[in-house]
Amino acid sequence: MKIALSLILAVLAAAGCGPREKVARIAAAMPLTGDMGTEGQGVLRAVELAVAEANVSKRFPFKLEVRALDDRADPKEAVNVANLIVSDSRVIAVVGHYNSGCSIPASQVYSRVGLPMISPASTNPKLTQQQLDSGWTGVRNIFRVVPTDDIQGSFSADFIYQKLKLRRFAVLHDKTPYGQGLAEQFQKRFLEDGGKVLSFDGVSVGDRDFKALLTRIKALNPDGVYFGGLYTETGLLLKQARELGLAVRFFSGDGSKTTGLFDVAGPAADGAYLTITGIPVEYLAGARDFIQKYHQRYPAMELKPFDHFGYEATNIILEGLAAVAPSPDSLAAIPALRAALVRKLRDTRYTGLLGVTTFDEKGDTLNKIITMTQARYHDRSFEPLQ
Amino acid sequence: MLLQQLVNGLTLGAIYSLIALGYTLVYGILMLINFAHSEVLMVGAFVGLGVQLFFPPSLTSGPLGLALVFTLAMAAAGALNVVVERLAYRPLRNISRLAPLISAIGVSIILQNAVFLWVSNQSQTFPDIMKMRSFQFAGADISSLQIVILFTALGLMAALHFFIQKTRVGKAMRACADDMEAAELMGIDTKRIVAVTFLVGGALGGAAGALNGMYYGSIKYNLGFLPGMKAFTAAVLGGIGNIQGAVLGGFILGLLEVAVAGYLPNGAEWKDVIAFVVLICVLLARPSGILGEKIGEKV
Repeated sequence: MKIALSLILAVLAAAGCGPREKVARIAAAMPLTGDMGTEGQGVLRAVELAVAEANVSKRFPFKLEVRALDDRADPKEAVNVANLIVSDSRVIAVVGHYNSGCSIPASQVYSRVGLPMISPASTNPKLTQQQLDSGWTGVRNIFRVVPTDDIQGSFSADFIYQKLKLRRFAVLHDKTPYGQGLAEQFQKRFLEDGGKVLSFDGVSVGDRDFKALLTRIKALNPDGVYFGGLYTETGLLLKQARELGLAVRFFSGDGSKTTGLFDVAGPAADGAYLTITGIPVEYLAGARDFIQKYHQRYPAMELKPFDHFGYEATNIILEGLAAVAPSPDSLAAIPALRAALVRKLRDTRYTGLLGVTTFDEKGDTLNKIITMTQARYHDRSFEPLQ
Repeated sequence: MLLQQLVNGLTLGAIYSLIALGYTLVYGILMLINFAHSEVLMVGAFVGLGVQLFFPPSLTSGPLGLALVFTLAMAAAGALNVVVERLAYRPLRNISRLAPLISAIGVSIILQNAVFLWVSNQSQTFPDIMKMRSFQFAGADISSLQIVILFTALGLMAALHFFIQKTRVGKAMRACADDMEAAELMGIDTKRIVAVTFLVGGALGGAAGALNGMYYGSIKYNLGFLPGMKAFTAAVLGGIGNIQGAVLGGFILGLLEVAVAGYLPNGAEWKDVIAFVVLICVLLARPSGILGEKIGEKV
């Protein structure tokens, strides 16, 4: 058994070291199946679009490939995927992961080999914050192009307190790093603003019956409910709240802003307030070209909420790569190339569809715009407010 | 609020009870835990949705639609359960206790992934079969749906009771549960009785799946897992193999969950923990469940 294993490893190593065509890979790690599968597939399409454009443009003296891996929005699977990626010696950077719960453990794997990663969607502050911990031994290789939950949660709190002048809220979350982080940030800011948090509860992902909890919340008589979580639970909460006659305003974050919300909640989704990171892509002046190219390459495919972030993240990597890998020989020493790319990304100043992206010392984007939207059932859309 | 929570708990409990019956019926006869039952229930929900998409809306709304959706969902889930028994359990009977159990887990994974890959991996809207109305009663908002669910479940339980106690096949089922060999010697076609048991258990699971879809308004490939686990717990709580026990266990679990989530601060996070702590305590005091007996009639 041991001999067989070492033989296999030897063969694999030999295959890895042998002569090869000049190819650099960008790994795309995100959920491609499961609940979040359609969202992840959207991002993957955007990554593939950006890489295909780079290949066509002949900007690079080597071929670029996308290596797509499915983490099924499951943290355990994300670590498996991350290990697969770091063992692929042609990968020079990662676009991923989607869920914060996946990005955080996976980022630690990438950091061990100094592989740069840009998340197009993970918003939990810990993802980049962890690099400043004293126990962090690797390089600071983590970046993201989306504003974090502290900004999103605070934005909702201020919006509710100042614009809507509501004071008494019940706060819920789904116990995931994303959902709970968002809810905690909301609660913190809302209390600082002077609001009152009547209750703070967690629900389980996969649970479908929230009526007991909502009945208790109804008895507290809040002005509104804030939920940190994803669209399935948001939808069930909205629907069951309406059935129980809990007619209050309902708020959630970017994880719920997807048309799947209307499938789960039905008409009860109407009027729900959802923050999104950045400006909705259809209102982004710089994104028109991207939308057109996306629909051209993928006719009949709907643009998903984080696709343009995936496109931007890929292009930021490509811009950095163009600077640090001027010749085909640059691919000879991948670890050095990865390290050079990390250093290059640190000084990024990229003008793309999101506007200008620069990173702070943690790797968070300084482009921190949040938009409040409201769900409209009749045309399954989200209308930006303000 | 008390009345509202009571209705919430009873509705949840009714669904758990229906599912628990499927576990307990099979266990009563074969001493087998049919882990594929949660997927049978999920398939029932998808058949319920399929019926609504396939037939014109005029046939699938109102009481007539309710009857049509339930009949077909129950028939399909029952038939599926029979096929599963025939292919995955019967060849393994009398080999070991463990083999059919592993086979059951395998079937569960296969069914879940089949729906995931071939039908949909997303939440699907389960249309309203009946126009939902809400009744204000003593400060509680009770939906017509909750009433329909409660009465459908109770009606099915009553029908099951009648079937087992008053019909010849039911009598044969009880005989098989008592002593399979003796029943065979008395001329009972035990293979057929086992198949009937799977048919009835699966049909109840299919009904629970359709109720689940109606109640929550959407269905998904993994919807069976959690209620399946809970209902299995309920069956053990009430005394697995015992029909009254399954019903009792289901309602206790439903009410308990609602009580914890609805009255304790931060209870929603703890409801599963507390539900299982109660289960362990009950089993410590009464190892065979509330109504379970060590030896004797199991059905």
